[in-house]
Amino acid sequence: MAKIEIDGKEVETLQGETIIQAADRIGAYIPRFCYHHKLSIAGNCRMCLVEVEKAPKALPACATPVAEGMKVFTKTAKAMEAQKAVMEFLLINHPLDCPICDQGGQCELQDLSMGFGADTSGFIEIKRAVPNPDLGPLIATDMTRCIHCTRCVRFEEEIAGQRELGAMFRGEHMEITTYVKHTVKSELSGNAIDVCPVGALTSKPFRFKARAWELTQTGSIAPHDCLGSNINLGTLRQELLRVTPRENEAINEIWLADRDRFSYVGVHSSERVLLPMIKKNGEWQKVSWQQAFEVALESLQKVLNKSGAESFGALVSPSATCEEHYLLQAFMRGIGSNNIDHRLRQQDFSDQQAAPLMPTLGVNINDIPLQNAILLIGSNIQKDQPIAGLKVRQATLKGTKVFAVNQLDYHFNFKVAEKLIVKPKQMVVALASIAKALSILTNQDHAAKTLFADVVVSAEAKAIAEQLCAAEKATILFGLQACNHSQAGLLRQLAALIAELSGKTLGFLSEGSNAQGAWLAGCVPHRRAGGQLLIKPGLNAAEMFQQQLAAYLLLGIEPELDCADSTQALTALKQAECVIALTAFVTDRMKEYATVILPIATFGETSGTFINITGEWQSFSGVVSPQGEARPAWKVLRVLGNVFQLEGFNYVASEEVLEQLRQIAATKVFSVKKNPLATFAIGPVDDNHLQRITEVPIYSIDSLVRQSEPLQVMQQNEKLTALRVNKHTAEKLHLKAKQMVTVKQVGSLTMPVEIDERVPAGCVLIMGGIKETVPLGAAQGLVEVLG
Amino acid sequence: MVKTIIRIIKSFTLWELFAGLLLTGKYFWKRKFTVQFPEEKTPVSPRFRGLHALRRYPNGEERCIACKLCEAVCPALAITIDSEQRADGSRRTKSYEIDLFKCIYCGMCEEACPVDSIVLTDMSHYHIAERGENILTKEKLLAIGDKYEEQIAAAREEEGRYR
Repeated sequence: MAKIEIDGKEVETLQGETIIQAADRIGAYIPRFCYHHKLSIAGNCRMCLVEVEKAPKALPACATPVAEGMKVFTKTAKAMEAQKAVMEFLLINHPLDCPICDQGGQCELQDLSMGFGADTSGFIEIKRAVPNPDLGPLIATDMTRCIHCTRCVRFEEEIAGQRELGAMFRGEHMEITTYVKHTVKSELSGNAIDVCPVGALTSKPFRFKARAWELTQTGSIAPHDCLGSNINLGTLRQELLRVTPRENEAINEIWLADRDRFSYVGVHSSERVLLPMIKKNGEWQKVSWQQAFEVALESLQKVLNKSGAESFGALVSPSATCEEHYLLQAFMRGIGSNNIDHRLRQQDFSDQQAAPLMPTLGVNINDIPLQNAILLIGSNIQKDQPIAGLKVRQATLKGTKVFAVNQLDYHFNFKVAEKLIVKPKQMVVALASIAKALSILTNQDHAAKTLFADVVVSAEAKAIAEQLCAAEKATILFGLQACNHSQAGLLRQLAALIAELSGKTLGFLSEGSNAQGAWLAGCVPHRRAGGQLLIKPGLNAAEMFQQQLAAYLLLGIEPELDCADSTQALTALKQAECVIALTAFVTDRMKEYATVILPIATFGETSGTFINITGEWQSFSGVVSPQGEARPAWKVLRVLGNVFQLEGFNYVASEEVLEQLRQIAATKVFSVKKNPLATFAIGPVDDNHLQRITEVPIYSIDSLVRQSEPLQVMQQNEKLTALRVNKHTAEKLHLKAKQMVTVKQVGSLTMPVEIDERVPAGCVLIMGGIKETVPLGAAQGLVEVLG
Repeated sequence: MVKTIIRIIKSFTLWELFAGLLLTGKYFWKRKFTVQFPEEKTPVSPRFRGLHALRRYPNGEERCIACKLCEAVCPALAITIDSEQRADGSRRTKSYEIDLFKCIYCGMCEEACPVDSIVLTDMSHYHIAERGENILTKEKLLAIGDKYEEQIAAAREEEGRYR
């Protein structure tokens, strides 16, 4: 490729490179504002002007492609003069209010004005002032500071995929604002704060809290999705004040989802439990740890003596750490119960014996953009795993075909080539028709040929099958909606069959940040740590509530919001004699059913390990002390083990627990029998009843997110408590938009009707994971609408 | 021999005593420069760096904008600031504390302040009787500023020429 010279140093350049990219590679510094290595080139700030031999004027390094024999000078008088002049221009309308600006100390304009700015300006006229648009509860704006580099505009358009920001007017009157007073709704919007080189866009929850230079930065792992984005925690005087992305090209690049960035606010929630609490004569009392453990021992022992260990079950959040998962299962099995589960929202456990050691993506996260075709099965990838959604979008921009088989027609920020939007009950048929199309297409002498005799192959299914087969590299992603489907086992078998017939990889996206750790550590009723099979499996999450056990142990969850069937969970918990809740937040509902509440540390306060969807073990440490008397959950579990006089609960550090788990994982050989699809029958079509589809809103997935005030404000305007139906169904039921109706499932609830074209006919969409819809019951069920 | 005689004569005539009394007598009649503290005070340079104060604008608004530059520049780490967004949206301190035991009165905080809020007054006569009194809180600092505003303003006015 072209050889050029930068400041006398010879550089071998790559095809299509510009000067600034070549200079960055060899470490020759060129100042810049609008150029960002992850965004397209705009060339509008002119800060990167450099001298090029034989060019009459200085050239912008970011927009000038390299040419053979080019000689570039970045530090000559001509280049420096040009850069200084640009700096003066940029500062003409900048308010220079660094002392009150949150960007102060981490500002690119501040840094460069130290290097290239003059101490006086020839500009004596009045500076302009720009009104600040309201971009919502996450991003604070001070648009007078804006230097119009358009990084935020390009970020929203190219990376987040939502054209929410734009530049209005021209020349000196140019303003960056939203199109007609919209707030920014993208699930990645917080990254605009990072890309902004000045203090025009800053973090609202962090506003005026601290200076960049006084924060202690500690690396950690984001706790809300299975990708395990790398983050930095900013702390000052034992207070967690900021979360920023930490660069990791293999996972999150330099981006971070808003959910991971702003959930830290929940740590300071007023609903934090600060002292252990016990219920005495119907009254809640704050007590010491000693007393709380005594009460826990006494009440649980009573149940165990009376009805045996089989009547004791534990439910754990999939976002708990590996250490917590391991200790919890050790505690439960020490007591003699195998009733332990982390698959709270799942309804179908029929294929659990055949499940792999832990769900994995099958490909590397970075390989997603390299696929030629991606088939999404029951996945709202953009909202469920925003960073994975971003990768899928990157793929589509390169021409990858994305297909979706969903029960809701999600408005993705990427182009979906073919989609099959079907009722929940038809999901299996949709997958079967793709499998059938594949078997016909590949002409394989496969059992599938006879299996799907009754299945009609739709045109979409055929198109998906054809393009999936034709793609050189393709992957099938099995999402959360499919995983939590009432026929999830069958769906998994069908997905595996599709993967087998087409010869492509099958990957799973899992709930929470550490479902992998939960599987590996044995937080499932049928396997020990390391995947060792149990002869007599315990009860799974759904059975534990169906069979109404006498005692429950909850770790980091609010079952009425985090489990598949809210009413069943509540009834079971209320009838239980003993409920020990290890939780960071206490709600009124929890006070109704719990016997003992043990306060645990939350995000940033505890050390631990998450295993991400590609099997990466990522450890992190606590950066602040837990609030009040709260303690890291692994410590609480350890002492609980001691209180019950169980063997092997003498860990001093969480690393010891992790070491134990690592050893088990390394030594235990894991194998499962394959579980191919043997029979297939299309169920009866029920058109007379309305089928409920439940979606958990992006900012309601776990208790920490639910406690984060700015994120809750984000979804306040989304009208979450509503009955969503499409136009066709609404007409059939004689419903009008905004009309109040009573919805009857297990309980009944009055809510307004919203017309939502994403919902298939004959179905209603009601949100789950929110307090308001708890009385309705199971996530998938039949509902009645009374006018 | 001669030396011994002179010494004997000096001893018997009380020569040294009279020489000393002469000096005393000379100063006895001279102009006195003893300052009758605390009734009288020595003049103080406008550059004197004494007790700290936080100033206000003439309209009563506190000057400090919680930029934390004084905290950053303080070589003795004597300043601790907590900032917040006040109800009106402006950037203000939640708490502003100076530890007088740590402070070395270098005046760098005053140099760093972009709004002339933290200043060192010419007050040097104060004492700390109880543990904890060494911490000057925001309220105390503002009260000191209110009390000595006239002097502070005059000193800045005078020194402004040299800045």
